[in-house]
Amino acid sequence: MAMTGVNVHGSYIYANPRHGLRAAGFAVLVIALAAAPLVAGDYQLHALIVSMTFLLPALGLNLILGYAGMLSFAQMAFFGIGAYSSALTAMRWGTPFWLNLVVGGLAAGIVAVPLGIPALRLRRYSFVMCTLGFAVIAQTIAKNWISVTRGDLGLSQVPRPRIALWNGGFEITSITSYYYLALVLSVLAVLAFLTLVSSAAGRYMIAIREDETLAASVGTPTWHYRMIAFALSAVFAGVGGSFYVHYFTVISPTVFDPFYANTVLVIVLGGGVGTVGGVVLGSFLFVAVSEALRIAPDLRMIAYGLLLIVIVFACPEGLLPLFIRKIRFGGGTHVP
Amino acid sequence: MLTDAVVNGITAGSVYALVAVGMTIIFGVLRAINFAHGEFYMLGTFGAWWGIETLDLPYIVSIPLALIIVAAIALAVGVLVMKRLIDQPFQIGIVATLGVSLVLQNVIILIFGGAYKMFDGGWIEPVEILGISLSEQRILIVVAALVIFGLLELMVHRTRFGKTIRAVSQNIEACKVVGVNVPVVVIGTFVLGCTLAALSGVLTAPVTVSLYGGMGTSITVKTFAIIVMGGVGNVSGTLFAAWILGLMESFVASYLGLQFRDAVAFTALIVVLTLLPGGLFSKRERF
Amino acid sequence: MSPDPLAALSIRGIEKRFGSIVAVAGVSVDIKLGEICGLTGPNGSGKSTLFDCCTGLQKPSTGRVYAQGLDITGWDMHRIVREARVIRSFQKAVVFRALSVEENLVLCGQMIAFQGMASTFGVGPASRHRVRRLREQAGHLLELVGLSHMRHATAGQISFGQQKLLQFASMLMPEPQVILLDEPMAGVNPILIDRMMENINRANQEQGITFVVVEHNLDAMKALCHRLLVLSRGELIADGTPDAVVRDPAVVEAYLAG
Ligand SMILES: Nc1ncnc2c1ncn2[C@@H]1O[C@H](COP(=O)(O)OP(=O)(O)OP(=O)(O)O)[C@@H](O)[C@H]1O
Ligand SMILES: [Mg+2]
Repeated sequence: MAMTGVNVHGSYIYANPRHGLRAAGFAVLVIALAAAPLVAGDYQLHALIVSMTFLLPALGLNLILGYAGMLSFAQMAFFGIGAYSSALTAMRWGTPFWLNLVVGGLAAGIVAVPLGIPALRLRRYSFVMCTLGFAVIAQTIAKNWISVTRGDLGLSQVPRPRIALWNGGFEITSITSYYYLALVLSVLAVLAFLTLVSSAAGRYMIAIREDETLAASVGTPTWHYRMIAFALSAVFAGVGGSFYVHYFTVISPTVFDPFYANTVLVIVLGGGVGTVGGVVLGSFLFVAVSEALRIAPDLRMIAYGLLLIVIVFACPEGLLPLFIRKIRFGGGTHVP
Repeated sequence: MLTDAVVNGITAGSVYALVAVGMTIIFGVLRAINFAHGEFYMLGTFGAWWGIETLDLPYIVSIPLALIIVAAIALAVGVLVMKRLIDQPFQIGIVATLGVSLVLQNVIILIFGGAYKMFDGGWIEPVEILGISLSEQRILIVVAALVIFGLLELMVHRTRFGKTIRAVSQNIEACKVVGVNVPVVVIGTFVLGCTLAALSGVLTAPVTVSLYGGMGTSITVKTFAIIVMGGVGNVSGTLFAAWILGLMESFVASYLGLQFRDAVAFTALIVVLTLLPGGLFSKRERF
Repeated sequence: MSPDPLAALSIRGIEKRFGSIVAVAGVSVDIKLGEICGLTGPNGSGKSTLFDCCTGLQKPSTGRVYAQGLDITGWDMHRIVREARVIRSFQKAVVFRALSVEENLVLCGQMIAFQGMASTFGVGPASRHRVRRLREQAGHLLELVGLSHMRHATAGQISFGQQKLLQFASMLMPEPQVILLDEPMAGVNPILIDRMMENINRANQEQGITFVVVEHNLDAMKALCHRLLVLSRGELIADGTPDAVVRDPAVVEAYLAG
């Protein structure tokens, strides 16, 4: 089988003639987004930035749910951990932006490991509830560890991103520069995600999603890969949290509210679980559009609720297949 | 302080018990956890509040009014959503009921606004029993919980509907083969379970006083903790687990601080899940 | 009775209870290297459970299992496949349904091509080369079992018989020493049964793979196996050549009673 050059698009997992097309679609999207500041106003750019901050935890959820087959509600807990740790590091030591991102991602990933040890022994509902528990406990800690998190007040005046360069670097303040930063970060995250799921490890994760026992019977150390998926999903969320906090410059325990967790779930399920294009589509469709139209939160939540109900029964593969017929990554026939 | 903590714990536990037992029977027949369960508790509270505030009804009349409203909503949700969950993979149930919860919660916020409301009703006069002073409403809550659990035990073991529920819980396939109308059982159980949650909300409102659209969420998550501790499908286990949670919360609130109260349920949940997968009262793994 | 270090599998006093049910009641047997050994018995006689105990899906209540003298009792499933090279199939779960036919094979070959866990994350030229090699190997196997024309089909969408052939081919990917097949011919049409038997024989002769085959189809067993074991209510009641075993009065009675 001839390999297309763009293996970042999973070509050697799901080698099929459509990969050229997919790479082209991705390139067009990136170019369109790069050109967006020419036409979009500040508020639209802000909406796009917000949707890109949600893209990261959504990719994480997609990894654990769409590829490894576990529904986790801990995603926003890891997002919050990433945000807090990154903000605190930057405030205390004035660390550069890239280092903060790494700190946010690592902190979330490291916390995920001890949480995963008990949680990954559980299956189905028990796992779901356990991860929900992590989010509640994370919020309680954020509210009550006042000496560090300042409780309900939260942290404010979190430093804006500083990009270190040969001439000393500069601080990112304008909305357009934020936008490009977010875009670069999103493209990198999507590429990293594609690389991961198209590796042999990604194939093992899909095997676990399909049938854990069968996967073990062909030599998959299932526990290890479930743990890796859990920790990496936390890393994605943590990096997202880090970017979020330096953009908004404030963070409070409300990040652990169900609102955010539900948004991430809607992005992944609504866009198309087990696909990358679906998650990208989902975050733009559900976050950017509703942000840009300034839809009130309660109306938005009603729409999300109806959407979740309709999606699970009517189009469990998400909206992506409706947008582009049959463009599949993880053999997306799997229902959430 | 100690007696206060115990009284509060038992009251809160009885409130939780009424909510959780509904969830546990729904789980039994449908094998789906209901993320919207706390919303029915919230709807019950709002139903009674609306009766009192808008229709100027006395509390005693607003109780059945709230229950009827909630039963009707539950029936609609049952027919539109829950019925379709039969034989579906478990994630479908989680996502669909989460959707229901978002809709119910935010429709209430849309109609009545997101601000806290005051509940003005109930019997909150303190009475003295065995040297302990407590409000009549608290006594009512505990008595109601005991009576309802008694009735539920009777229903599950004696009545035809109860036996059908048990049969469907044990073997849904066999029930289909022998011609049990599974969708009707599922909807019936769902309406019953949600109405119990609503009753709990109506009875608690005079004690908790404030109400708002988002109040159901924390109830839902506490309910998870209780059904895991009690062992899924175990009616009397649910009551004891609820009391245990109520007492733990009340002790944590009195001796450690109120802000830690809501984390108790989840800490208990995680500990029980990982150490005692069958719950506190059973060795068998039920999830 | 000490284990035979030369036996492909030495099963010693394996017993498995589920509460009060005794699924396997103390089975001891040696499977010789290079043989095709049939295992049959009435429904519920414990055949699958015996497989489960040999491959780490279940931990036996008592007894031990050795693979060429190596004690594998209580090992995790993936470790038994990787280190003892004993692989098994399942009655129900057959293939990874969402993956393509070829991907199923590549997945099964990964444990050999990507030994360490870190290597599975690589996407560089070395990993790509490994995957290409796996694809070539998969191509050969698909040709052998006669599925090359559906290599890009989604595995869940091919017929059940074809899925069983695919499953068989997948099990050859990691080059195992022992293959335990749980009812490979159940629900498969007669033409594909012949193809399956042919493939088992070829793998046995050309690669020297030892087989234990659970099967209810006694005609197929007689044609295929060098030796036939019969389980009844968890106990081994017969062990010998297929012809001798099917005439054994104890076996006839077990089937009539079962
Ligand atoms: N996980 C389990 N829990 C309880 N009992 C079990 C379990 N697995 C198997 N059993 C019981 O153990 C006995 C043996 O089952 P097993 O599946 O090994 O039989 P089998 O010989 O493979 O039957 P078949 O020909 O139908 O596949 C049966 O009575 C079965 O009900
Ligand atoms: Mg069997």
